[in-house]
Amino acid sequence: MATLNEKKTCSERMENFRRFVWNPETKLFMGRTLINWVWISLYYLAFYVVMTGLFALSIYSLMRTVNPYEPDYQDQLKSPGVTLRPDVYGDRGLQIYYNISENKTWERLVTTLQTFLTAYTPAAQHLNVNCTGDKYFIQDTFDGPNNTKLSCKFTSDMLQNCSGIADPTFGFPEGKPCFIIKMNRIIKFYPGNGTAPRVDCTYVGDESRPLEVDYYPVNGTFNLHYFPYYGKKAQPTYSNPLVAVKFLNITRNVELKIVCKIIGAGITFDNVHDPYEGKVEFKLKIED
Amino acid sequence: LSASELEEKYGTSINKGLSSSRAAEILARDGPNSLTPPKATPEIVKFLKQMVGGFSILLWIGAVFSWISFGIQFAQGAESPFDNLYLGVVLALVVILTGIFAYYQEAKSTNIMASFSKMIPQQALVIRDAEKKELPAEQLVVGDIVEIKGGDRIPADIRLISAQGCKVDNSSLTGESEPQSRSCDFTHENPLETKNIAFYSTTCVEGTATGIVINTGDRTVIGRIASLASGVGNEKTPIAIEIEHFVYLVAGVAISIGVLFFIISVSMRYKILDSIIFLIGIIVANVPEGLLATVTVSLSLTAKRMAKKNCLVKNLEAVETLGSTSIICSDKTGTLTQNRMTVAHLWFDNQIYSADTSEDQTTQPFDQSSPSWTALSKIVTLCNRAEFRPGQENLPIMKRVVVGDASETALLKFAEVILGDVMSIRAQNKKVAEIPFNSTNKFQLSIHETDDPNDKRFLLVMKGAPERILERCSTIMINGKEEPLDSEKAEAFQTAYMELGGMGERVLGFCHLYLPENEFPDTYPFDTDSMNFPTSNLCFVGLLSMIDPPRSTVPDAVSKCRSAGIKVIMVTGDHPITAKAIAKSVGIISATSETVEDIAKRLNIPVEQVNRREATAAVVNGMELKDMSLQQLDDILCNHSEIVFARTSPQQKLIIVEGCQRQGAVVAVTGDGVNDSPALKKADIGIAMGIAGSDAAKNAADMVLLDDNFASIVTGVEEGRLIFDNLKKTIAYTLTKNIAELCPFLIYIIASIPMPIGTITILFIDLGTDIIPSVALAYEKAESDIMNRRPRNKKKDRLVNEQLAVYSYLQIGIIQSVGAFVTYFTVYAEQGFLPSTLLGVRVDWENNAINDFEDSYGQEWTKYQRMYLQWTGYTAFFVILQVLYLTQGRIIRKLFIRRYPGSWWDKNMYY
Repeated sequence: MATLNEKKTCSERMENFRRFVWNPETKLFMGRTLINWVWISLYYLAFYVVMTGLFALSIYSLMRTVNPYEPDYQDQLKSPGVTLRPDVYGDRGLQIYYNISENKTWERLVTTLQTFLTAYTPAAQHLNVNCTGDKYFIQDTFDGPNNTKLSCKFTSDMLQNCSGIADPTFGFPEGKPCFIIKMNRIIKFYPGNGTAPRVDCTYVGDESRPLEVDYYPVNGTFNLHYFPYYGKKAQPTYSNPLVAVKFLNITRNVELKIVCKIIGAGITFDNVHDPYEGKVEFKLKIED
Repeated sequence: LSASELEEKYGTSINKGLSSSRAAEILARDGPNSLTPPKATPEIVKFLKQMVGGFSILLWIGAVFSWISFGIQFAQGAESPFDNLYLGVVLALVVILTGIFAYYQEAKSTNIMASFSKMIPQQALVIRDAEKKELPAEQLVVGDIVEIKGGDRIPADIRLISAQGCKVDNSSLTGESEPQSRSCDFTHENPLETKNIAFYSTTCVEGTATGIVINTGDRTVIGRIASLASGVGNEKTPIAIEIEHFVYLVAGVAISIGVLFFIISVSMRYKILDSIIFLIGIIVANVPEGLLATVTVSLSLTAKRMAKKNCLVKNLEAVETLGSTSIICSDKTGTLTQNRMTVAHLWFDNQIYSADTSEDQTTQPFDQSSPSWTALSKIVTLCNRAEFRPGQENLPIMKRVVVGDASETALLKFAEVILGDVMSIRAQNKKVAEIPFNSTNKFQLSIHETDDPNDKRFLLVMKGAPERILERCSTIMINGKEEPLDSEKAEAFQTAYMELGGMGERVLGFCHLYLPENEFPDTYPFDTDSMNFPTSNLCFVGLLSMIDPPRSTVPDAVSKCRSAGIKVIMVTGDHPITAKAIAKSVGIISATSETVEDIAKRLNIPVEQVNRREATAAVVNGMELKDMSLQQLDDILCNHSEIVFARTSPQQKLIIVEGCQRQGAVVAVTGDGVNDSPALKKADIGIAMGIAGSDAAKNAADMVLLDDNFASIVTGVEEGRLIFDNLKKTIAYTLTKNIAELCPFLIYIIASIPMPIGTITILFIDLGTDIIPSVALAYEKAESDIMNRRPRNKKKDRLVNEQLAVYSYLQIGIIQSVGAFVTYFTVYAEQGFLPSTLLGVRVDWENNAINDFEDSYGQEWTKYQRMYLQWTGYTAFFVILQVLYLTQGRIIRKLFIRRYPGSWWDKNMYY
């Protein structure tokens, strides 16, 4: 029937809409009276204020109840991650490619290292104490200033040839580059079960093929007195111990796959999902 | 036209028929004499249709968007864009699986349908090459001479050239419940009314006839009606409209939020491509993945439940339509009535008695002590040619099959119920002579020996049209005594006759006479041709009136419909008086209301002077309807609450349905005949009768009542309303959830926090854990007042109205989101990331190149460790949402369950 299928014209629609926005006869604005709208707005205002208040209250009580020194649960951090400096990521993980003859390609890497090591200058470390014992530095009391715990000094000179002091280019132009291995911090983590964990770098998939590496500090160990970590609030000046590795004999113009694992009890490097847990893998290619 | 003219016109010979070769020629020209079946939609099209319905479109769009998003991310080389790919695939799978499910459901009901229509190849007795031949009816051609006899289905449209007591049952064509007599006389201009044409697919009840085939196949009257039905387009079901409305609403919300956040993210210096991904993400997040499945499952659960109650639903969406129905146009014969004549009233001893007309009568309650009744019962028993088919002794009397015409059958059953074994009574009163009923003398007469061995008199019994019977009587039996028939008694007879006739009943008069023994001895040769016995000065005994009575469940069902706010309109092909009587007895016209004519009669003024507004009821004749403008029809439909349309043609039924739809009503049409099929199709929901219904009607209908019981419609209405209420709850439930799932994404964009909940997790909720509670809502019990409220207003009571949406989105959704975010922040804080740290970390957090990400306590996390934590966050979010939904289920129940004035929901709440 014609009356049934009658389509509204555009102008009629506009007219209807205009009437919906403001209907002069019934004094309805968008289908409601103005006073009605005010009430609704007030209602929603109140509603959202209450909701925000509830939310804020919840978050506030959450903040009040969490332990400021350490998180309540640490089940997600069982084994520390390992990172490498300089860190240049390609499509599939770390890729450090450079050309000896092109300064630009390695200057970038050198700068990264230098920047990274600024946190390890004696000046940056002056608040930390010198530690000598090769045991865990267990502190049950807050002996540091401002109710903190002490942290052990780690200065870049401990990295000797890779400290950037003697050789500000970290051996990159000679094709014997230094890399710095850092182990992630985990609160109250005791690595190595009494023996200092150490870094061990090999070719990936070809463990037997010898890789000429110098480790600094000697043996590539993380001294036990840097552990355990007591958290940001307890040890505000704590800095991670580092191990530098210097590759001495890298075949040129070949992409090499190298993995540096941290060997020590309590540190796992066999998590298939996480390529950075307890180890760091990277590709290295030096061209000339 | 005379016989010879006919012969000429159709090129045939009445005696010899067509020659075989000529017949073959015509057959080749006109095609076989069968109705072209309605073009069946190919199964694959039906299947695909299931895939692209309103709701599916939303999911398809979602899927496509997901794939686009995946494409962009993949091209960008992002780490794990596969989430979006999976999301797209899952969305597509949901649509396809739901489609298959719905298709399977409908196919199942179609199969049940198919089992009903057992096609028996029809044979016709044809004269060809001057020989009588049995031919399949399909091979009939125009000009063939066919012979029909009682019990046959008429094989084509036939112009009769000779007939002996031929009666046809046109009920499937016109809806008239009484068989029509047919002769070779031309009586009316209208081919439907004239007596010399018998129509294809009607049945010959009794007598024999010969005729010329004048139309075959689709050109027959029935064929034209069938093609009328296929020309009527199908209307969208109300639930489809509601779902469409819902899709618009969701799409509107999705696009507004999407665009809003697109602008926000662009102004927050996100890359354009990222912003587009966010946009798509938001749109996709708004798609309620599980709802399609839930709705389909809920509908089919209801369909199943209805099938158990004898309502077979052909189209899943029709389940709800019945619930929103505001007008039911019901056919009379077979739907409201039992479709068989039954004795309704008796008049003897100057008094009207009513008989029980229910379907399963075993006794009759009226006073049977009067000797007049004994006499009357004897006449009823004896003056009757109908007989039970043998071998039915164990069946209830009402169910037994009888050989004989409708009124004789009624009388036989009536007698059998009261007197017991009629056959043995007849055997004891041996029949000696008989004059069967014919249309000239309008009576039936038989002469019997009496069962009293001492009484050697013969008993002459007669029945027929009351006025004719009365003419032949000189006495009347009152309380067993013959009294002279004076004018006072004749007056009483007239009053009773008029009263019974006014009730739309067919009245028969009964009289008898004991023939004196001396004049008519044992051996008297009765001769029915010369009538050598008295046929006047008889003794009038009583009247019996018969009607096709309403089914016993109907009045109750009609009143239930009434209280549910549904207008019941009777549309029938039958006579106005009968229609009105039935309408009154089932309550379509209530006891107190009057038609214009009634008022005129009461006030004794001409019909024209009556104020039409005063009359609540109206009986409209098909003839009147023909001359009416659409405006007038609308007036009638608007102004009268109780309407009966009588003597309507199929086209008029269609017009009535359209008229109702013009009023904005959702119209249900019930019917069984071919003549109903166009209206069935046009209606928002067509309801066909499963047992009595013709295939055409069943094909056109959306629903089939397997027990032919009008009361089943009430069940259907109840179920339909229930499912609407329950779907409302389901959707409210789904919408609130949507916000709780969307909010994390929005906060993720704005506050740059780690993703609180992932796409796959959301899918898990929507398609996994949430399907069960959503479907469970379909099992919610009906509210006690479900059948006492008005049908929903198509325009106002939407499945999803703004209130529900706003309430779900802006209130419940927000509450849930707040709850979920508290959990989220707690989980991260307990693991080392305090809320202050989380804000703004998104880029670094998701950066693969940062493997010493520092938390609030100074610990360092690799990418994978962070992701693992994020997944833990997902799980927490998931769990808390489940807990919140659990409580929300209760809230929804409480809040949405009632939509009554005075309820919390209906008050002008400040949503």
